[in-house]
Amino acid sequence: MSEKDREETTPPDSSRRNFIKMMGVLAIGAASIGFLRGGIQNIIPSSAPVLTGFPSLKLVDTTGKPISTNSLVVNNPEIVTFDYPLVDEPNFLLRLGDSNNKDVEIKPVTVTIPLTGAKFQSPGGVGPYKSVVASSAICQHLGCVPPEIRYHTFTSSSFDGKIHCDCHGSTYDPFEGFKVVNGPTQRPLPNVIMSHEGSDPDTDSYYVKSLVGPVIYAHTSDLSGGNPLPSTTQTTVTVTKG
Amino acid sequence: MANENLIEKIMNDPQPIPRKVPDYMRKSGGFMFWTGAMVSAVFLYEVVTGLILLFYYQPSNAYNSTEAFLNTVPFGSIILTTHLYGAYAMIVLVYIHLLRNLFVGAYKKPRQMQWLSGILLLLMTIGVGFFGYSMSGDVLSADATDVGRGISGAVPVIGQYLTSLFFGSGTQLSLFHRLLAWHIVLAALIGIFFLAHFFLAEYNTIMPSGKDSGDRAPAIDRDDGSYKPWYPYNLMYMMQIVLLTLGIVVIIPSILAVMPNVPALFSPFPQVAPNSPLAMNVPAYPPWFLLFIYKELDFQFAQGLGPFYATVIFAGLPLAYLVLLPYLDTKASLKLVDRPITVSLTIVGVVYLAILSAWGALEPGVPINNGIVALFYIVPLVVITGFVMFLTKMIKQGKITNPYIGGIVLSATFAGLSAFGIGAILVYSRMNFTPSVLAGLSILGLFLGISLLFAFALIFGIFPPKARKQEGNISKNTYVAYSSIMGILSIVILIEILSMPFGNIYNQSLYGVGLGVLLLIGGVMIRLYRGQYYGE
Repeated sequence: MSEKDREETTPPDSSRRNFIKMMGVLAIGAASIGFLRGGIQNIIPSSAPVLTGFPSLKLVDTTGKPISTNSLVVNNPEIVTFDYPLVDEPNFLLRLGDSNNKDVEIKPVTVTIPLTGAKFQSPGGVGPYKSVVASSAICQHLGCVPPEIRYHTFTSSSFDGKIHCDCHGSTYDPFEGFKVVNGPTQRPLPNVIMSHEGSDPDTDSYYVKSLVGPVIYAHTSDLSGGNPLPSTTQTTVTVTKG
Repeated sequence: MANENLIEKIMNDPQPIPRKVPDYMRKSGGFMFWTGAMVSAVFLYEVVTGLILLFYYQPSNAYNSTEAFLNTVPFGSIILTTHLYGAYAMIVLVYIHLLRNLFVGAYKKPRQMQWLSGILLLLMTIGVGFFGYSMSGDVLSADATDVGRGISGAVPVIGQYLTSLFFGSGTQLSLFHRLLAWHIVLAALIGIFFLAHFFLAEYNTIMPSGKDSGDRAPAIDRDDGSYKPWYPYNLMYMMQIVLLTLGIVVIIPSILAVMPNVPALFSPFPQVAPNSPLAMNVPAYPPWFLLFIYKELDFQFAQGLGPFYATVIFAGLPLAYLVLLPYLDTKASLKLVDRPITVSLTIVGVVYLAILSAWGALEPGVPINNGIVALFYIVPLVVITGFVMFLTKMIKQGKITNPYIGGIVLSATFAGLSAFGIGAILVYSRMNFTPSVLAGLSILGLFLGISLLFAFALIFGIFPPKARKQEGNISKNTYVAYSSIMGILSIVILIEILSMPFGNIYNQSLYGVGLGVLLLIGGVMIRLYRGQYYGE
């Protein structure tokens, strides 16, 4: 008979011992359940919005200086983007003009979503010439991002004055609330609602307020599915070669 | 048996694996036989929390995804901070494990391979810590990768290849992708080498106490038939050790997370991003466990040598010593008094490491001229070696008979180091008592007080030899009362931490403290149970 068996057959005081064992198991069990709560709640990704509402962010350049009207080029052939409302969610920042690169006033229009037939009101341009607009830069067809999707200026060989995605050919019209010009996309680009402060085009500044239109491509809501931006007051505008 | 094959011999000689262990390993003070078990417990904790972190970490977005994990993912703060402090605990415990085995002479025959695999594990642990620390993408990680790039880039001939091997092609994305990959690769290698190290430990048996081995190598532990079975005695003891270790690992960062003004070096959180204007205020520190290399690069002649050769000299020489030790010190005696050179070099090494680290923390990046460097290296070497030689001579001649002389020297060394640290802080802070200076002073003051208390207690024999209380010193009913109080307490804590909202870091820290207390309660209850029913 091993030592273990001997102890189990002739316990010195079995009920007391069992009670104490039970208390020990209780404590260790409590620790395990405590760990489980944290672990399980942690690894289930949250589909809840990471933000409670759209943040209002000032547009700044990479040095932290506010973007002024004069720092934006009319019909810029380069790609000007900023992340909003979460990181890795690029948006176009466009100062639109005619074929002579004169600012064009962009009026609010009613845009139809071909997929659902729903309509929304585009915000229109802001700034001294009402010519600055912004939209999501993630194609609503299959999620291509710049440089595949970009604004084509009036000097380009094709799609001039349109946003065109090289992946599958979706084309949007930034002058008309980023409506669908050509498929395969069935949804216009989500419009960014902006505001403008100041009157001097050298020192004025632009703010992004929220989004209107379809939800950003592949998101259940504009405020979920990513990480918040590092700053709660500003977002950085970056310029890349088109 | 003559025709017994090799595998059978390994598995069954001197007794079947898993080998039973002697009872003194589970008695009070026996925990020094289990430092390896503590390292493994923390390593497993690191693997689990690391795999959870892997679900969220984005190399393309290192800093933001770390901050988002910390602030928006439920219990993210507790997992990230305990992963960091688990790593710190693992490094500290690996050093303790190393020192313990140095002092008892566990590197001697037949454990040379076990020792060498342990050195490899030490290097990989520091490496995995370096890569993990750099992954957060904060300003400290940027500083650490810069130093790493500097050292690897200065390797002759292959420097450029090494730099791109470890730190990528130069873009942020390839940098963090590589840090992540190396972090996981090294962790997996640690797992594999740990298994080898552990199997060797089973194969060679535990390092028996001096009394059993007669203080002579090869020291093999043999079951004389009195060893208790592995289950439940060892299992319970191991559970106790694991619970107590993890309890401490979870509690410390949870408390630090809600304390104000924790110095950057010990903060459980990432610092600001490297491109933030506030980054100017964070001193350029590497992780604390590499401060010693960082300080050595400030030495005047090291700057002439360049970062690679300086590292080779300052980190490579001690390493070479450790690797060669089993082949240099081949005498059979395991007694400390017969190995004065090994003992004094070990103490000198610890003193160098501690002072260099403190120096790096207090004067980061301040160049040190050759004269001071020479003084720094020569004075402790001469003083400590001389003192140890003198002490061993006195003991051998029978002039010192205090049986706790080893403990007295050790606590006196700690007291000396703490006093040195207090002096250094007082000088370098120029009596400007900011909260972090005060925190440092009070921690070192506590160390000093405790080690002095220990030294005096040992000198004046306040611990009466062999008069420890036997089991049954608590009456059985008191014990039932204790365990029910702790059982009820653990239910209360469990309800508290299960119903707690996890909205912010403060709540998560309370959850962490609660969890840590639960683990400690579990450990203490096993301790009491073992004392009551196993007579251990």
